[in-house]
Amino acid sequence: MIWVDGVLVSSGEGGVYGERILSGKRVWNPYRSKLAAYYHLGGDVEIGSSTRVLYLGAAHGTTVSHVADYAEIVYAVENACIPMRDLLAVAARRKNIIPLFADATRPCEYAPLVETVQLVIEDVAHPDQAGIAIANSVFLESGGAAILAIKARSIDVSRSPREVVDEVCRTLNGSPLVVGKVIWLEPYHRDHAILVCRKQGPCIEKRE
Amino acid sequence: MASYWFGDVAGGVCRPYPGHELDALSERLDLLIEKNDPYVPFTWEFARECGFVHSREEYIEVLRSLCTMRAEMELGRISRTPEMELVYMVRMLDQIDEAVNLLTERALEWHAAKDPAFSRKFRELRGQKAREMLAGSKNPVLSAIATEMTHLSEVRSALSREITALAADVMPNISGLVGGVVAARLLSGAGGLSRLARLPAATVQVMGARIALFSHLRSGTPPPKHGIIYQHRRVHAAGKARRGKVSRTLAAKLAIAARIDYYRGLPDPGFLESADQAIDRAGGRR
Repeated sequence: MIWVDGVLVSSGEGGVYGERILSGKRVWNPYRSKLAAYYHLGGDVEIGSSTRVLYLGAAHGTTVSHVADYAEIVYAVENACIPMRDLLAVAARRKNIIPLFADATRPCEYAPLVETVQLVIEDVAHPDQAGIAIANSVFLESGGAAILAIKARSIDVSRSPREVVDEVCRTLNGSPLVVGKVIWLEPYHRDHAILVCRKQGPCIEKRE
Repeated sequence: MASYWFGDVAGGVCRPYPGHELDALSERLDLLIEKNDPYVPFTWEFARECGFVHSREEYIEVLRSLCTMRAEMELGRISRTPEMELVYMVRMLDQIDEAVNLLTERALEWHAAKDPAFSRKFRELRGQKAREMLAGSKNPVLSAIATEMTHLSEVRSALSREITALAADVMPNISGLVGGVVAARLLSGAGGLSRLARLPAATVQVMGARIALFSHLRSGTPPPKHGIIYQHRRVHAAGKARRGKVSRTLAAKLAIAARIDYYRGLPDPGFLESADQAIDRAGGRR
């Protein structure tokens, strides 16, 4: 991760969504992006120049553009028409974004296209976020990380966010994904948590 | 055997797909997705060993063009259908209503402030009458605003006629039962005819009564009897005791109509007649 005076940045062609530029690099705003907030709060899952990423819920491609600045390739899955149009515009200017117009709850729609990845990022607003992560863990190599941005209020507005996250963890229990850390995104995002999971199996150490 | 977008791998032997032609690759992909084989993890090196590509750059380039093309085609297919246009049209209509009402209210307040004697009467004035009165105002700007709003409501009528015509074409049976504008609102609520055709009647009945429904589920308040379909004459004109029954029957018939519209696409006069009778019976009229 690249930091300039305590500000998270990524190097790449600017002007994707009107982001600020700091000493020639694109500022990755933690108030806009949950992933950026995660890194500001001490997140340690590195995205390197050889990392292959599967990004579920790519939306307008703002966070995806930053991930693509770090990663080797990003498979960006999005299911809604209007965000997809924006995502295509972002992908047109970055050679390492593969736009997939498909439903993340149905990985079979894009399975023949996606190679194994080292990192799965899930940022979808869906009641069954754990189920989606488990279904998509087939793409993850052993020892690979899955970062889940849990939108507690989107899963169930009537329960307390902690309860919701506990339940997500319980669902993940017994799946190939082992929950490592839970990071709440205060003060950047309210009632949002990041769950970092590792895929079980023989841990293959892969360094750049 | 495991099949990927670039070729098939069986027993360590790989058969690449001949050529990089995107249309053909896309067709092949449709077949693969249809077949829905279990996923066998792969890396791009398979494609190189196959002889499909020579380098990582080439692999990404072909894959990226393929996916971009497919996404663009799918987007085009969705946005070109007349039903999506209908959704945008009816959302426009509702937004115009909201804007006209808001502006009228604001203009009336302005007018009342200038003429305190007017304050008691203006509450009675509604819609077109209010705008006509405002158009005769001494203040040229206020009267110009009123004229503009009159124009806007004329545009609204034209839009509403267009919606009715298009809805009669896209969903002849639903609009036969509830009229074009309500039909279009149901379509907009479901997010497309294919989704509307798959909804149960109970969902159609309370569609648009989201707040009431969830407050019922959460804290046991009385369940909503009707959502969007309340706008239909036979529901809101029915007596209070009958309204639930009418909307239940109407929703059941709408769910059937949606399936006929989606799978057949033609008006069914026999169904429409029997459905109309059933709804009238529910309303206590024979």
